[in-house]
Amino acid sequence: MPTVTIDGHSVEVERGATVLDAARYAGIWIPTLCYHPALSCEASCRLCMVELERGDWRQLITACNYQVRQDIVVYVTSERAQQARRGVMELLLARSPDSEELKELAERMGVKGTRWPTVTESLRNCILCGLCVRVCEQIIGKSAIGFAGRGADRTVAAPFREPSEDCIGCGACAAVCPVGTIKVRVHQDECEVEISPFKSRAKLLVCKQCGAPILSAQVCEQAVGWALAHLPHPKKAVGQAPPYLKRLRLCPKCRRLQTAGGVASP
Amino acid sequence: MIDALVKFASIADFEGFARSLRSQDRTGIRSVRLCMGTGCQAKGAARLYELFEEAIKQSGQAGPIEVKPTGCHGLCQRSPIVVVEPAGIFYQQVEEPDVAEIFRETVLGGRAVPRLLYQDPETGKKLEAAEEIPFYKVQQRIVLSQNGRIDPTKITDYIAEGGYSALVKVLTSACAGASLPLRKQGMTPEEVIAEVEVAGLRGRGGGGFPTARKWRSCRSAEGSPKYVIGNGDEGDPGAYMDRSLMEGNPHSVIEGMLIGAYAIGSEKGYIYVRNEYPLAVKYLRTAISQAREIGLLGESILGTSFSFDIQINRGGGAFVCGESTALMASLEGRPGEPRAKYVHTVESGLWGKPTNLNNVETWANVPHIINRGGKWFAGIGTEKSRGTKVFSLVGKIANSGLIEVPMGITLRRIIYEIGAGMRDGKRFKAVQTGGPSGGCIPAEHLDARVDFEELTKLGSMMGSGGLIVMDEDTCMVNVARYFTDFLLNESCGKCTPCREGLAQMRHILQGITKGDGQAGDVEKLQALAEILSGTALCALGTTAANPVLSTIRYFRDEYDAHILDRRCPAKECRGLFIYQIDSEACKGCGICLKNCPVDAITGERKAPHVIDQQKCTRCGTCWEKCPFTAVLKV
Repeated sequence: MPTVTIDGHSVEVERGATVLDAARYAGIWIPTLCYHPALSCEASCRLCMVELERGDWRQLITACNYQVRQDIVVYVTSERAQQARRGVMELLLARSPDSEELKELAERMGVKGTRWPTVTESLRNCILCGLCVRVCEQIIGKSAIGFAGRGADRTVAAPFREPSEDCIGCGACAAVCPVGTIKVRVHQDECEVEISPFKSRAKLLVCKQCGAPILSAQVCEQAVGWALAHLPHPKKAVGQAPPYLKRLRLCPKCRRLQTAGGVASP
Repeated sequence: MIDALVKFASIADFEGFARSLRSQDRTGIRSVRLCMGTGCQAKGAARLYELFEEAIKQSGQAGPIEVKPTGCHGLCQRSPIVVVEPAGIFYQQVEEPDVAEIFRETVLGGRAVPRLLYQDPETGKKLEAAEEIPFYKVQQRIVLSQNGRIDPTKITDYIAEGGYSALVKVLTSACAGASLPLRKQGMTPEEVIAEVEVAGLRGRGGGGFPTARKWRSCRSAEGSPKYVIGNGDEGDPGAYMDRSLMEGNPHSVIEGMLIGAYAIGSEKGYIYVRNEYPLAVKYLRTAISQAREIGLLGESILGTSFSFDIQINRGGGAFVCGESTALMASLEGRPGEPRAKYVHTVESGLWGKPTNLNNVETWANVPHIINRGGKWFAGIGTEKSRGTKVFSLVGKIANSGLIEVPMGITLRRIIYEIGAGMRDGKRFKAVQTGGPSGGCIPAEHLDARVDFEELTKLGSMMGSGGLIVMDEDTCMVNVARYFTDFLLNESCGKCTPCREGLAQMRHILQGITKGDGQAGDVEKLQALAEILSGTALCALGTTAANPVLSTIRYFRDEYDAHILDRRCPAKECRGLFIYQIDSEACKGCGICLKNCPVDAITGERKAPHVIDQQKCTRCGTCWEKCPFTAVLKV
């Protein structure tokens, strides 16, 4: 197993692990924005820059996707590495000056503010990290959103900037968004969930007991489909819906009540 | 003419055919070689072709007289270009009415038409042959040696000029059943790579990576299949080297790729070419299908165990797709965005397989190296930059065009001998090399030798070969703004520094050129440049600041004049200079007065006019319209 020496601390990692993996294993913090362990690595935010020793010179690399193949020496807190990360952070702050999440991260990095004015337009502080695009494609399998435009005009959007028909309203994009650009809105009256700012909507299932919205109907359908295909169930039940399906139409609160009732009077 | 081509089942069959083509008796054949490159076509070459064909038909001598449409001849400034063989008389700026005279006098009569000849601006002498013209005399044409000689749509033309002989030389040992001691003239893949190594060939797309080392890495990389790619996604402003090569001699690229594929162990190749080059796409397609038809592409090439085929992929015109990983993403059908190259593409490229990508010019060098030997190639150029390089020489130069020069030639010779100096007698200011990733080199470095290291030392780079010449009227701050603008528009926007950093740079540069520059702007630009070069994801971003840095390095005074004095020394940035009427030169014709959109000009007829600087919006209409150049920029 190759050894990674980070700021003097040595850790052994599997071949193919990244510098970021090694740093986390060693308890060394490297800021990240576009990284998520469940998703592919794009290294697009450039916030995780560290220095790699290359004999008589050092190269700036991104920790999140640099794979360790042999023993290497890396510097996270060197002057140049910090300057590089702070430089990138300042540019992000200029783009999205109102993001509280970004300000918090900047402070942790020792960035007090930005010397640059806001010259690019960001949709609700979006920093274009692409986590939402990747989660929708790689985990949900829908690709309901993607990148549109090029250069400074790049945005995350549903096709043709219209509400997407492929969106199942799962809200995974909102969950991974590091700066709170994407929001899930529940429209009680229409019994729909909206993924904002894409304006994509999906029907909600309601609790049979109390009528409260539970989750998107398509998410439920997909989850059940997956469960039927992958979870083991008794042989005799093949072809019939497993019993838990019947209980699924209750909201968490009503389900708890039902379960508690079952325990009380078996 | 050989029109009905057959598929050659063996090397011997092909060699026999090639020999018969090459030894064809051409005495008595008069040939009109007409440039049908994009530049000449824009000036009506297609119509000239029709007129020549008509003239031949009417003369009833269709056999001994032929008109041959060829690729770019190079001297695009003087297009359309016509060369009449066998005497090789070079005509320039030929127009429709000239066709009859050329046909009568030169084709039939064997005499030159003096008024259509190139006139040396220095000596005033009319020059008959292309080789006498300094533009061609100083050049050394290897890659372009067949450009302008062959019809790019005819494989037989290429073969007759020696085409595919390098492939045959390489393949012989792979010939099925050939007993090695008897036929040792072939080359093993290792021998091919070694020959390219001896030649010292380096990538012509801009990076200058040693070609042989790349091939060897790809050959020894684990995984199959292996791919080879020809990069024809030329996108630098003012550059058309690859275009002219693909349009003028597509088979040379194909032959180079065949040899490379043989050396690397690949059976599948792609040529990625911009769709904005319709002629290149068309001619490449024709060339590939012709090569396939006679068994030079496809299964068991010329009956050997070597199989290889090429597919064309058209790019949608994104500059960033010239970057190897973005190009491969685009080939795979994904958005053309680069990825990190910590694992090289020779190990994991197209679809995660070992992939060898070279620029089309690099590929086109290969047959020449195989034919004439690596030693011969290494004898040209400088110690670290061997061979020749194709450039497109454009801008404020007298003779703009497509040129090929040995590495190590000075910029001065390119500009003053090949390019015949500056246009309209203006003073030279700078030459931009390496496209948007390159830099501007000033007059004091005109004696710099053109090679990979020297240009990098000067803060520029070799790049793919655009040379944009600028004169005293060019504002260097505006040049930096232009390239930054271009790069921001062409940046994919994936990584933060390139997207945001370039936007910041453009914002500052726009301010400076509008007269809103602030003290400290130059230092801000330098700080942004450092962030970009250190942290951007791909080469587009890491080199994006070069135009800005090089202009700051050599033309800092111009930045200062803009920022501190609110003055544009080149008088290009609107608002940073004023228009005045020279009262001595003004004839009082009233044209400026009539055309001024804001009525800022007053004056009696036949008396000098005056511009009211308060009213003037600096639109420049008076300056453009004045027939006596009495309106001055001050």
